[in-house]
Amino acid sequence: MEERQRPAGDRIATTWTPSQEEAKPTWGWMLQAVTGMLVLVLVTLHMIANHFVVKSGLRDFADVVAYLSNPVVVALEVLFLVVVTWHGLLGLRAVLFDFGFSRRTESWITRILWVVGVAIVAYGLWLTWVITSYH
Amino acid sequence: MSDQTADRSRVERPDEGASRRRRGVIGWADPRGRRLGGWAFILNRLTGLGILLYLFMHLVVLSLLARGPSAWDGFVSIALSPVFLSFDIVLIFGLLLHGLNGIRVTLVGFGLVVDRQKAIFVALMVVGALALIVAALRIIEVG
Amino acid sequence: MSAAIDSHRDTHATEGTGRPTRFRVFRYKQGDRAPHFDEFSVEVAEETTVLDALISIRNRQDPTLILRHSCYHASCGTCGLRVNDQEVMACVTKVADLKSAVVKVEPIANQTLVADLVTDMVDFYARFNAIGRSLIQNSDWLPEAGRPPGVETYRRFENCIECGLCLSACPIVASDPRYLGPAALAAAWRAIEEPRGLDPEAVLQLTDDAQGSWRCHAAFECSEACPANVDPAGKIMLVRRRLAADHLRSIFGGRHS
Repeated sequence: MEERQRPAGDRIATTWTPSQEEAKPTWGWMLQAVTGMLVLVLVTLHMIANHFVVKSGLRDFADVVAYLSNPVVVALEVLFLVVVTWHGLLGLRAVLFDFGFSRRTESWITRILWVVGVAIVAYGLWLTWVITSYH
Repeated sequence: MSDQTADRSRVERPDEGASRRRRGVIGWADPRGRRLGGWAFILNRLTGLGILLYLFMHLVVLSLLARGPSAWDGFVSIALSPVFLSFDIVLIFGLLLHGLNGIRVTLVGFGLVVDRQKAIFVALMVVGALALIVAALRIIEVG
Repeated sequence: MSAAIDSHRDTHATEGTGRPTRFRVFRYKQGDRAPHFDEFSVEVAEETTVLDALISIRNRQDPTLILRHSCYHASCGTCGLRVNDQEVMACVTKVADLKSAVVKVEPIANQTLVADLVTDMVDFYARFNAIGRSLIQNSDWLPEAGRPPGVETYRRFENCIECGLCLSACPIVASDPRYLGPAALAAAWRAIEEPRGLDPEAVLQLTDDAQGSWRCHAAFECSEACPANVDPAGKIMLVRRRLAADHLRSIFGGRHS
């Protein structure tokens, strides 16, 4: 007697064993929520500082140097860059993970996004240093 | 008897292409039949990806600051042109939609205020519309 | 065709008195290269439901139309369909209420298709198995229910009629069939709230997965589509609240729960 095909239900059920090695997605989700809230606050500050404070609506070079001469401003803008990059790349990761890649591909995506994120923040720090050391 | 067996195995393996009519990895983006919450989700994703794209462009443009005043100030004059400014309004719309809906997703996603989530969404979008008007007025003033 | 089995339902679509309405019905049979839509015209009366119209089509116009139904009052969960891109129970959806000259009828989405308007519900049921909740449960006979006249209150334990409309509406299931989905996660919450012999901790663990409750993006399409007031999205969020609280407590709180 020929072998019956396994019903579709078996296929679905076997992919739902909880994984032990992965960090619980709870933390990723909480991180997204926390960075999101921070971005909301910081982007509002960023918008006001850059588009409402200056009369022309956009800071020219001299305005930018003056703006970044304040260490509190620098700290806030760096923090802004860190959280917005984190939130954005974590969000991108969520969208990509909907594509149903293998677990191995998914860990590669995570690693690449980490590298991209660190590179972005490093770039931002470098740019800030260049501007603030301009004479 | 063997005919029946053959038929059964065909039923159990229906044509995957036909059976998944609107699927595929962008199935989430299918707008047909979507209600308010479904649209909130789709737009949240689209604005998120759009803002991320903008972030990359913004960071690249900022490198002009490293080239000194003439390079940056040249860019500033372009940035204050009407075409540019109208793109800014689109950006702000996206930011408001994503950020304010994000508040709802955060609250609801932790199991808070779930019963009133639709009303909260509408209220937040109203706040967003007002903020957008303020931003648009400022942009018009500047341009 | 001779008088069919459901001729008593067919009376809603009486010839000559109703309003002709176009029905575009999804058709697919095993071995077809691709599905297609067939058009039928049915005269509908004020009370005619989508199910009435489909049965009329099968009785009078095309006996090869395959559809599934049972109770006629949205309790069995069998006749779920996508009508004009919305998930509905066909037996209680009046054609007149659709306010459309053309009615598009498709099977529910995100399920394996068997033929025409019938999907294979095995995928759907397997999700319930995955959370360890047996599909067949003993119901408790409440003391209140034993009081005949002047019965004060009944408590319904399970609203879910397992119709699959929520899974059809969910945009995440649309992209990724690995997601547990609204029905099973709502059932998981019910099992956590009221174990009835199940281990709630084990169920909670299963929902804490990447394909579990964290996959939901708060679109709430499932709760909109649900014909039985299950509010799956709300239940998923309650699961997440519990998971978040447990995780935070494990970091900050004591070892007691």
